[in-house]
Amino acid sequence: MVGATRALERPAVARPAWWRRRRTRRALTFYAFVSPWLVGFIALGAIPLVLALAMSFTNYDGLNLDYIRVVGLDNYARVAGDRDALLSLQRTLVFVGATVALGLVVQLGTALLLDGPVRGRGLFRTLFYLPYVVPVVAGAWVWKIFTDPNGGLLNAIVNVVDPGFAMNWIVEQPTTVLVLFTVWALTGGGMVVFLAGLQGIPSELKEAAQIDGAGSLAVLRHITLPLLTPVILFQVVVSMIWSLQIIQQPLLLAPGILRGPGTLPPQDNYLYIVHAYHEIFVQQRFGYGAALLWLLFLVTLGLTLVIVRSSRRWVHYEEAQ
Amino acid sequence: MRAAALRYPALVIAATAFSLPTFWVLVTSVKKQSEFSSLRLFPSAPEWANYQLAITLADFARFATNSLVLATSYTVIVVLTSALVGYGFARHRAPLRDQLFVVVLAMMMVPNVVLFVPQFVLFAKLELTNTYWPWILWALGASPLLVFLFRQFFASFPRELADAAEVDGAGPLRVFVQIFVPNAWPAFAAALIFAYTWVWGDYLYPILLLNDANTTLAVKLATAYADPHGNPLQTVTMAGVVLYVLPLVVIFFVAQRFIIRGVVTTGLRG
Amino acid sequence: MLKRTGALAAGLAAAPLIAACQPGTTTPKGGSGKVVVMTDPHEFGDADVKAIQDATKLKIEVVENDLTRLYAMYAAGNPPDVFRVQAAGIPQYISRKMLKNLQPYFAASKVLKPDDLAPANNFYKWDGKQIGKGDLYGMVKDWSPDFTLYAYTKAFEDAGVKVPSDTAALTYQELHDLAAKVNKKAGAKRVYWGYVHSNNDQWIDRSAMNMLAEKGQSLYSEDFSKANLTGNPEAVKVFRYLYDLAAEGLHQTPVDPSPNWMGADFNNGQIAILQYGYWFSAMAESDTTKGKTVMLPAPTWSGTRRDPTMTATGWVISSQTKDPDAAWAVFETYMGGAPAVARASSGWGVPGLKSLYAKMPTDTPFQKQVAKVLNAELPYSDGVLQFNPYLGEETFSTAWKKHLEPALKGQISFDKFLANIEADVNAAIADGRRIVGQ
Repeated sequence: MVGATRALERPAVARPAWWRRRRTRRALTFYAFVSPWLVGFIALGAIPLVLALAMSFTNYDGLNLDYIRVVGLDNYARVAGDRDALLSLQRTLVFVGATVALGLVVQLGTALLLDGPVRGRGLFRTLFYLPYVVPVVAGAWVWKIFTDPNGGLLNAIVNVVDPGFAMNWIVEQPTTVLVLFTVWALTGGGMVVFLAGLQGIPSELKEAAQIDGAGSLAVLRHITLPLLTPVILFQVVVSMIWSLQIIQQPLLLAPGILRGPGTLPPQDNYLYIVHAYHEIFVQQRFGYGAALLWLLFLVTLGLTLVIVRSSRRWVHYEEAQ
Repeated sequence: MRAAALRYPALVIAATAFSLPTFWVLVTSVKKQSEFSSLRLFPSAPEWANYQLAITLADFARFATNSLVLATSYTVIVVLTSALVGYGFARHRAPLRDQLFVVVLAMMMVPNVVLFVPQFVLFAKLELTNTYWPWILWALGASPLLVFLFRQFFASFPRELADAAEVDGAGPLRVFVQIFVPNAWPAFAAALIFAYTWVWGDYLYPILLLNDANTTLAVKLATAYADPHGNPLQTVTMAGVVLYVLPLVVIFFVAQRFIIRGVVTTGLRG
Repeated sequence: MLKRTGALAAGLAAAPLIAACQPGTTTPKGGSGKVVVMTDPHEFGDADVKAIQDATKLKIEVVENDLTRLYAMYAAGNPPDVFRVQAAGIPQYISRKMLKNLQPYFAASKVLKPDDLAPANNFYKWDGKQIGKGDLYGMVKDWSPDFTLYAYTKAFEDAGVKVPSDTAALTYQELHDLAAKVNKKAGAKRVYWGYVHSNNDQWIDRSAMNMLAEKGQSLYSEDFSKANLTGNPEAVKVFRYLYDLAAEGLHQTPVDPSPNWMGADFNNGQIAILQYGYWFSAMAESDTTKGKTVMLPAPTWSGTRRDPTMTATGWVISSQTKDPDAAWAVFETYMGGAPAVARASSGWGVPGLKSLYAKMPTDTPFQKQVAKVLNAELPYSDGVLQFNPYLGEETFSTAWKKHLEPALKGQISFDKFLANIEADVNAAIADGRRIVGQ
């Protein structure tokens, strides 16, 4: 079967000369293909990265640089005594876990529902995609008035079933609203990726399985999902990185309107990156904030590597050699 | 077949739930400003003037043109470069490849906030602030996200695809252009949608690098609809959002046609 | 300053950053004839740009007001020539030598004469020890006595309470009691918030500072090295008062917020008493509140009336500008030329020049009532608020908001709440002082 071919283990024997030439050729080809990124990274990425890292070793406060001083690892040492940093990291991990898991289910679900020939497919796809392009500022306003206890549509709908129901969602359930808002806004992007991924699955495979008497759920479980695993890995990693870094959503869902850097979300939505943002823009501790963000980078990198490592057990690649 | 019968009701319920907030954008866009966040669910009479205000308060045509130029040029370039790079990572082995790929992934993980000031300093020294060059240069350097996307797609293509062509003596670039690209329309469509949506919607970098005259619609959408004291006019903003989203919906509608089951079968043709 | 060893250790990495920051001393005076203005485009529209370009023959480049961009431009050694600030940031910028001393320019100006400057411009004076003394570093674009009140008369009718007189100032205690009477909920739904103030707590420090100043006291120690809350009985009283308004549900709070800002809620008829300055009169009358809105004088804490501006929003010129004369020309035209006249007659604030006061609109009955109250308030608006030069603009109010939520939820006591704010603020002051080497 085409899709089921696995890269063969290379035998560990001495390689002939022609193969080594081929290996060199392959390496050159690889570097030729990736050269745009490599050159771009060295020219545009490296300098800002080094500067950004250097910043975290200073007392930089964003104002003029006459007073800048190197403080070594002080900023990193300070994190250990910062209760808000640790608490907010905990909240962040809960939020990210919920968002990635629920997001994956919804994105994959909508893609599967809209993969085959369905009446009004273009319309449905557009409806699911739309929130993805609604700017976050507007999206947040809509969710706030949508969940508002006074004039909100959500409570009005619940009241049809349960007339006495009154809930101030963004105060009593801020993280739930944040997760729903985020999943709502992200579904379109994930759905597009999964729809594209589903195209790579040869239909003969499914047809063959169905002829063998497999039901649609069995086809999904044994053919579609395994072949979709590279795309699932992509989506899990990307949504995790993305949701670890969201900053505007919790700020915009804070009570009132976004007004100045001191905008403060409810405790439950005071995520790690909100804390870093506050340290930079409210407390004027740019150096310390940068250190917090570099630690977040390490956490992200660690989580990603764990997922990528584990993916060797569940992701199915068709890589040449 | 039970699952198939449930598909349509499931779709309708999910789509309805999803569309309620979206629908609310529309409803809000024709409310009076004093009706936003009031006890009244629906507007007493549609306030079409919001749309007129949305266009005049932000000089809509001018900033939409800026967004169009910036997003189009960035997208065309970045999709091409990212496809090349992603293909390289997916189908060619070389020393340091996996380490370099970790660097690609890592670039997605650096929080923007720490990079803003250094990036501005870099472009200021190159005298490229207040121009669109930073975006062009970024596009030429490929986007880590899209590289990752293309890598995952190209990696899942059947290996017979390349083997057959290589036996015919085709060079690596020809294999890429003639075999892989034609079979990767869904990935290209997805990448195009992503890149376009990102530039169209981003306002952090335009605020950082552009000035008030050549900035994008997203910046204006976030800032222009306000009274002289900067207090937001949400209903006008919603009208602006409706207009702002339209081009993206058109792009999506066109692009998603490439994501239609049956275009690609095994990928092995001829 | 830079420790030698430390500089060596991080030297390579930080060198470009530091090199990037030396003020550009090589560019000759005269520049490119272009002036970069960082401001809020709402306050500086195309008409203003055109008027100033025509008057000065200079090219203006407008950059959106943004903290990150300002940081970045300073880091690149290329700050905007002119930029927008608010009162709370001024002492910090001046003591960091980021602003140009404009005293000589004002002294020589035929348009912006020192005698003609409205009292709010005193917020742009800093002698290294206090605000209001020393040379001028900038000017307000316009301003308002910001402690005045707006009453929604329908809320008072509903409660059967008389609307207070618009000629006598309420005491804060009377204001509290009145707010409690007009405050109204219907089940879980909010009908009227009694008294909403301090720009949804973003300016809570300014309310407290003004109340304390009536008794000749300050939020901070004289050298600004500490916030003085728990150790000062008067400060405890002031914060207890502000806390009670929140705890009794008269004010919008983290546990009973609105999805909107307080001005919009007033327009929607959801706030009985609102605290905003004269500028709000330009938009106070919505379809709902038209004919049912009156302006009231600022309340008083101890009988010594004070009604200064809380924001003093205006412009300053960067000390690193390459062409100060050009920057001044733009500044002068915006503050005293055609754009200033247009702003004055819009009713969106009291002009920065006394000679323009007469331009404020008095056409409608509401505008007339507002003008009456405003004129009675102006004599009390000479004072300033002493902002701390070691603190960011929103450090204090953010600490207040952050600890208010657990306090209102009963997780911490009022005493602990106050102690937490004090600790946060003092830690930030200590950091600020360390940076400037104190």
